[in-house]
Amino acid sequence: MLQNEKFQKELIFRQNIMKTVVIILSLILVGNLYFLQVKHSKKYQLLSDKNRIRLMPLLPKRGNIFSSDGTLLAYSECNHKVVMDYCSLQVFKSNIKILQTCLNLTKNDILKLESRRKSRVSEIVVKESISREEYVKVMMNLFKCNGVYITNSYLRRYNMPEELSHIIGYTSKLSDEIQILEGKTGLELFFNEQLSGMPGNIQKEINSVGKKIRTIDQEAPVDGQDIILSINAKLQKYVYNLLKPYHVGACCVLDMEGKVLALVSYPGYNINSMSMGPSVSEWKNWNSSQYKPLLDRAVYSSYPPGSVFKIIVAYAALKEGIIKANHKFLCTGGIKQDNHVFHCWNRAGHGWIDMVEALSKSCDCYFFEIAKKLGIEKIQKYAKEFGLGNKTGIELPNEKRGLIPSKEWKFLKHKSHWKTYETMLAGIGQGSVLTTLIQVATMMGKLYSNNLNYSVSLLNDHSNSNRVLPIDKKSADTVKEGLRQVCYLGTASGSCRTLYGISGKTGSSQVRKLRSDEVGINQNLIKWKYRDHAFFVGVAPTNKPKYIVTVFIEHGGGGAKVAAPVARKIFDKLIMEKHEN
Amino acid sequence: MKISKKKFYFVNTAKILFCLLVLILAISILGQISAFNGNYVVIQKHVARLFFGLVIMVIVASVHIKTWENFAYVFYLCAFISLMIVELLGVIKLGAQRWIDLYIFTFQPSEFMKIALILALSRYYSSLTIEELKNLKNHRFPLMLIMLPAILITKQPDLGTALLLISVGIGMMFLAGFPFKPFCYSVLGIIGLCPFGWYALHDYQKNRILNFLDSDRDPLGTGYHVLQSKIAIGSGHLFGKGLFQGTQSNLNFLPEKHTDFIFTTIAEEWGFVGAVFIIFLFVCLVMYFFQMGRESKNKFSRHLSNGIALLLFLHVFVNISMVMGILPVVGIPLPFLSYGGSSMITFMIGIGLIVSALSRIYRRY
Repeated sequence: MLQNEKFQKELIFRQNIMKTVVIILSLILVGNLYFLQVKHSKKYQLLSDKNRIRLMPLLPKRGNIFSSDGTLLAYSECNHKVVMDYCSLQVFKSNIKILQTCLNLTKNDILKLESRRKSRVSEIVVKESISREEYVKVMMNLFKCNGVYITNSYLRRYNMPEELSHIIGYTSKLSDEIQILEGKTGLELFFNEQLSGMPGNIQKEINSVGKKIRTIDQEAPVDGQDIILSINAKLQKYVYNLLKPYHVGACCVLDMEGKVLALVSYPGYNINSMSMGPSVSEWKNWNSSQYKPLLDRAVYSSYPPGSVFKIIVAYAALKEGIIKANHKFLCTGGIKQDNHVFHCWNRAGHGWIDMVEALSKSCDCYFFEIAKKLGIEKIQKYAKEFGLGNKTGIELPNEKRGLIPSKEWKFLKHKSHWKTYETMLAGIGQGSVLTTLIQVATMMGKLYSNNLNYSVSLLNDHSNSNRVLPIDKKSADTVKEGLRQVCYLGTASGSCRTLYGISGKTGSSQVRKLRSDEVGINQNLIKWKYRDHAFFVGVAPTNKPKYIVTVFIEHGGGGAKVAAPVARKIFDKLIMEKHEN
Repeated sequence: MKISKKKFYFVNTAKILFCLLVLILAISILGQISAFNGNYVVIQKHVARLFFGLVIMVIVASVHIKTWENFAYVFYLCAFISLMIVELLGVIKLGAQRWIDLYIFTFQPSEFMKIALILALSRYYSSLTIEELKNLKNHRFPLMLIMLPAILITKQPDLGTALLLISVGIGMMFLAGFPFKPFCYSVLGIIGLCPFGWYALHDYQKNRILNFLDSDRDPLGTGYHVLQSKIAIGSGHLFGKGLFQGTQSNLNFLPEKHTDFIFTTIAEEWGFVGAVFIIFLFVCLVMYFFQMGRESKNKFSRHLSNGIALLLFLHVFVNISMVMGILPVVGIPLPFLSYGGSSMITFMIGIGLIVSALSRIYRRY
């Protein structure tokens, strides 16, 4: 009996052990629950939301770009594409089976899709830019699929892809995941904020196989704003075609309000294919061509302006009273300075000439002399006043500043002192002077609108009339008279003598120092890349200036021979057409 | 109106059992509604099964406990033969076979075996005297009773159930008075042999264990179930997402949400509080059974109660552990809560046996 009781106690003890084990194991369960549900619940909440909520961007429509005459230049083409959410292989295969017949997917396509699924992107683009027929087919079969839907994306299209390539620029997708278009260069970049609008999004609740259950939240996208340019599409095209025979060139047509009617840099490149991602051969062509079509000659490149710069020097000299308009100077074909003879372009010399004649004949010696008297500080001051060596503020990114040299600049850059001959060279727009085409055009605008605040713009609602900073009329009139005579008796008289009257200035800037055997040689005999740059800047009609045309032909030869005829044609087109209307 | 102390005890304890059972069954119905997201046809089936189970429980409870003791070996034999039949059918059909289709419902012999084993072991140990218990030779027979069906079930293949059966059996042997020291040695020995068991496992079983050891091994493959289950439980926070508001279960991210993973569904919707409450209910039930075993004057009832308590607790522990990723995923359902007939009926029979024993708690026969 005693043994029995002892045995009973032992059994109860064993049961107690078992009960303890039960309690301990239960506490382990509770402890684990605590860790999962209380301590780390935020992490699991996130994972749970990530499971069920899909955030899809709704793309905004990028704004259109119009020309001033109402031509559509850039627009967004709606493009449907079929997208599949990331899903298990089983669901993927059943989806593909359905889509295969709708979209005519080849075996190769499917293999590609499978590899994309393996790389675990959250969205697999099954097919981009589907046709209308495919759209209907997919729509009708959509209910059979899991996690497949059609989304809109936009393709950027341009109507004048080559003519406007440097102005409008191109766009590209932000990334493969976020397919928002982003401006890369030109106006697309400058006005990116206005054009692109705000993307919206849609929050969907999905189940385990990716099928949409309901929409949780939706925010509509805000489309981008349209932009109307001051560019005249017809003129732009005309000018572009005019420049074609000269390989490389640039041209700017302004009106007196500062609106840019045409801004061409030739050669252009196709921005349509650039937006889509150019083919390898195209890309190679653009990059290897010696004419460098990707480079913007109008705004992004600076060149020595040559004789065009004399306009500034003449105005400065008259304004500062260094020389009187009727003061005559003897040009003998060269000036000796610092043990070196600086020749006039006409080695025979121009004889006795005054300011007006010096401008019209573009006498170098005359300007060597007055530049020497002015000094580089004064030249720099007036050049800056007329917008040379400063950004013009045109609505294009990456505008070049150009360069008007000064003593400080020389010292900082070359660690040597300024020499007098450098002032002389600056006086004829050579040496270190660099300007962009748009700066030269602006300078002309300032002179002829008698307004130092004149500025240029690519937008149609631009105006300069409300803020005027007048220039010295008496000096300006003398300069203008000189420029008028350029086209009657002077350098451009061969090509620019017209009834309505053009005033202008030619410029031929040397690219390198002439060798002795090359003096007076025909430019066509020199290698293309050593030929002079040809400049012409002009206004017309002379009595009541309306248009400013700046033509620049890179390595064109002489300004009078090459650039002036181009400008003449543009003026003819502008004024005659107006007249006919 | 004189109520004896014994009768009072019975009524009182039966009340506790009744309350626990009603609560668990209510949770079971709610859980299934959540899992099926309002598919009432399926839920009706579950409720019908519950009532069918309750009827079986009443029938089992109304049979005298002595009868159950007398027929214990017969039941064991029946269960064993049906296991053999399943094994043979499996050979014929060349695949895993766990069920016998009885046209009315599919019947899972391995479930039935759990009860039969407990009955047989109880019957055997109730016949041993204290001296006989001390002799190790006398424990060979129950060991055989445990291992034979376990081997058959392993071959099905259903390693989880087999291990559970062995654990219940060994637990019962321990509680019945298996000598203490040899018991400790053999348990240590079995643990030492575990690593060699690796080579006997099937590939899918190895995979499950590897995934269990490293949950990031294949988040969209075999580890997916546990990961999604953990996400569901974890996102429940303290008070849950609200009844029928579980996103993981409603949007089908949870696998097997109505059977093996029913606890996850409930934990997601009811949160930490609800989940702990369910564990608490089950522990109460288990403790209640242990208490029954202690109070019982009848040896057979005592062993029976202990066995059913162990069976219940092991089911609960293994199931909840596996949905939380503490243990590898083995197909062990949560008693009463999981959808499915065999498991439900097994535990209803278990409760019926307990009630039958309870009504004669102070009698020695």
